[in-house]
Amino acid sequence: MAVESINSQRCNGCGICVQSCPADVLRMDGERKKVVIRYPDECVVCCWCIAECPTDAIVLTPTRYNRIFTSWG
Amino acid sequence: MDAIRDLKKYTCDVLVVGGGMAGCFAAIKARQKGADVILIDKGYVGKSGQSPYAGSFMVFNPQWGHDLGAWMEQINRISEYVNNREWTQLTLIQSYERYLDLVSWGVRFHANDKGEPVRFPAPSGVTEQLRFEENKHGDYVQILRRQAIKVGVRIMDRIMLTELLKSKGRIVGGMAISVDEPILYVFQAAATILCVGACGIKPAAYPPIVQLTGDGEAMAYRSGAEILGKEFVDVHISRRDIPAGIPNMLGRKQTIPPGLEGLQGPRRGGHLFNAEGNPLPPRPEGASRYMFTYLETEFEVHAGRGPITTDAPDGLKEMTSGACLGMSLRKADGLWPADLEGRSTLPGLFAAGDALGTMQNGSAYALTGSAIASSAVTGTLAGEAAAWEATQMVERDIPLAEIERAQLYVLEPIKRKGGFSPQWVTQLLQNTLMPYFVSYIKRADRLEAILSLVMYFQEQLVPKIFARDLHELRLAHETKNMVLSAEMRLRSALYRTESRGNHFREDYPHRNDPEWLAWVKIRLTDGRMELCKVGIPAAWYPDLNKPYSERYPYRFPGE
Repeated sequence: MAVESINSQRCNGCGICVQSCPADVLRMDGERKKVVIRYPDECVVCCWCIAECPTDAIVLTPTRYNRIFTSWG
Repeated sequence: MDAIRDLKKYTCDVLVVGGGMAGCFAAIKARQKGADVILIDKGYVGKSGQSPYAGSFMVFNPQWGHDLGAWMEQINRISEYVNNREWTQLTLIQSYERYLDLVSWGVRFHANDKGEPVRFPAPSGVTEQLRFEENKHGDYVQILRRQAIKVGVRIMDRIMLTELLKSKGRIVGGMAISVDEPILYVFQAAATILCVGACGIKPAAYPPIVQLTGDGEAMAYRSGAEILGKEFVDVHISRRDIPAGIPNMLGRKQTIPPGLEGLQGPRRGGHLFNAEGNPLPPRPEGASRYMFTYLETEFEVHAGRGPITTDAPDGLKEMTSGACLGMSLRKADGLWPADLEGRSTLPGLFAAGDALGTMQNGSAYALTGSAIASSAVTGTLAGEAAAWEATQMVERDIPLAEIERAQLYVLEPIKRKGGFSPQWVTQLLQNTLMPYFVSYIKRADRLEAILSLVMYFQEQLVPKIFARDLHELRLAHETKNMVLSAEMRLRSALYRTESRGNHFREDYPHRNDPEWLAWVKIRLTDGRMELCKVGIPAAWYPDLNKPYSERYPYRFPGE
C-alpha cells in the first residue's frame, strides 16, 4: 500500500483527491462526507492526492509493494 | 456485485474520448466549428493521462529564426528515416498557432522580464522548446478543461468508453461504463475521436501511464481499424528509489514530503556509471538520447555490470530502465492515419494525440516537446474535420442488435460468478513482458516463447476475467485491452526482422534499408491478427549512396 491513511478529522470532504486519482483508489463516503481508501492495491504513488489536498489529510508513504493475488483475486 | 440496471442514451455530433491535450483541443475546436460535443474520460478531464506531466512544448516559428529544412533534417536522421514526414512537418508548422491558442486561453509559459517566452535548446541538434510555467505546470490541462466548458463542450468524467458501435460499416458512437453508477451509457455520434493516449501495462515505475491501457486501439482494432508502430518501444528510464519522480513533473515540489520528491531519468549533463564505477560511453553525435541510454544501460546490466547509477543532485542513485513498459515510442503506435486530418481507416472514427500513429518521430524520439505539441495539432485537425463530417452525416441511428451485441461484451465480466481476477492477469502480463531480454533486447526464439504465453492468456484467461464491482469492471476491460496490445507488440517485433531506432533485435542487429524502410500495419482479418509491411515513399529514403555509418551514426551492439 502507498496511500496509508486519511485523517478524517482533517478531511473536509471536498473530493478533489477523488477526481485527481488516476487509479480510482479513493472514493467519497457519501453518508459521512469523508474520503475513504477503497481500492489501495491500485495506488501507484503518483502523489496527485497529497499535492491537491487542501487540508493535508492524506498520508502517503514512498513504499509500494504489489500484493500477491490468487487467480480469483 | 453491482447490477447494471439502466441504459442512458446521449446524442451528439462529435464524441471525444479522453481529456488530455489532444482531447481538449479536439473538443474545443469541434465546438468552435459549431458541433455539439460531448467529451468523456474514464478519469477526470484535465487531470488524467500523461498531459499534466508534460514539461516542455515544442514550438517551431520561422520568426524566431527557425529553419524548417534544418529541423526536418535532424528529425529524419534521428528517427532513422521511418518518420512520416508529412505529419512531422505538419506538427512543426502548426505548433506556433496551437501555442497561441494556449496562451489566449490562459496557459502560461516560462517568460523573461519582458514577458517574452524563453526558448530552451533541445538536448541535441537545432530544435528548441518552450516550458510550461514551472510552478504547478500540471495545472495547464485544467485551464483547457475550463476553456472547453466555456465554449459549450459537455464534459462527463469517470466514464470509460468500452466498445465502439457500428452501423452500415460506420462508427456511430460507443458504449461506456461508469465506475460510480450502475449505468450503461450509449453515445450516438456522427463522429467519434479517440484521444485516449498510449498503451502501457501499468508499470510500477511510471505512474502517469496507469490509465493508459490501449483502450482506444483495442476497441478500434476489434471494429476493423488498422494499427501501427507497436514494435518501437518507449525507452524511458527511471530512478529506482523514486519511480518517475512524479511530483517534480507536476511542478509541485513545495507540497511533497521528504522521501517522495525524486526526478525522472538522468538530468541533462548527468552521467551514468556501471557497478565498476566506470562511466557509460558518451552518446555519439546524432544518436537519439533515449535510445542510446536504454540500450547502453541494458547491455551493461546484461554483461553483469549492474546496477547502473546516475549522479543525481542528491547523490549516486540506481537507475532502472523499462519505466514505461508496454508503451511505444510516443506517437509511433496508434490508429493508422488514413489522411492528414486524423481520420482512421474506419468511417466515422478519428484519433488524435498518442492514440493516432502519426509516426512523426519515426523509430526514435527526435524532438523534445513535440509529443505534447503534436497532441494539440492532431486534436485540432481531428476536431475540425469531425465537426465538418457531422454536418454531412444525417443518419446516425444505432441498430438495436448492435446495442445488444455491445452490451453482452461490455457486461460479460460482471455477469460471471467466478473466474480470473483482472489484477492477477495484469500481474501475469507484467511479469511476462518485464524482463529486459523480452521487451527491449529481442530475439525471435524468446519473442515466440513469450507470444505463446500471451496467446494462452488471450485464449484461456481473458474470456474468464470477472468483475465483482464497477471498479473491477473497468480493470477487466483494461486488462483485456492490455493483453491484446501485448500480442500486437510481440507480433510486430517478430515481424520486423531488423534493428532500427527503439526496436533492437539481437538476431538482426543491423538496419536493413532495402527491406525495412517501411511501417508494420496490423488489422483483424477473419478473426486473426494480420500484419503487413507498408513501404515509406521512396522520396523519403536516406541517401543510399552514403555509407551505412554515415546514415546511421549509432552502432547497435553486435553490429
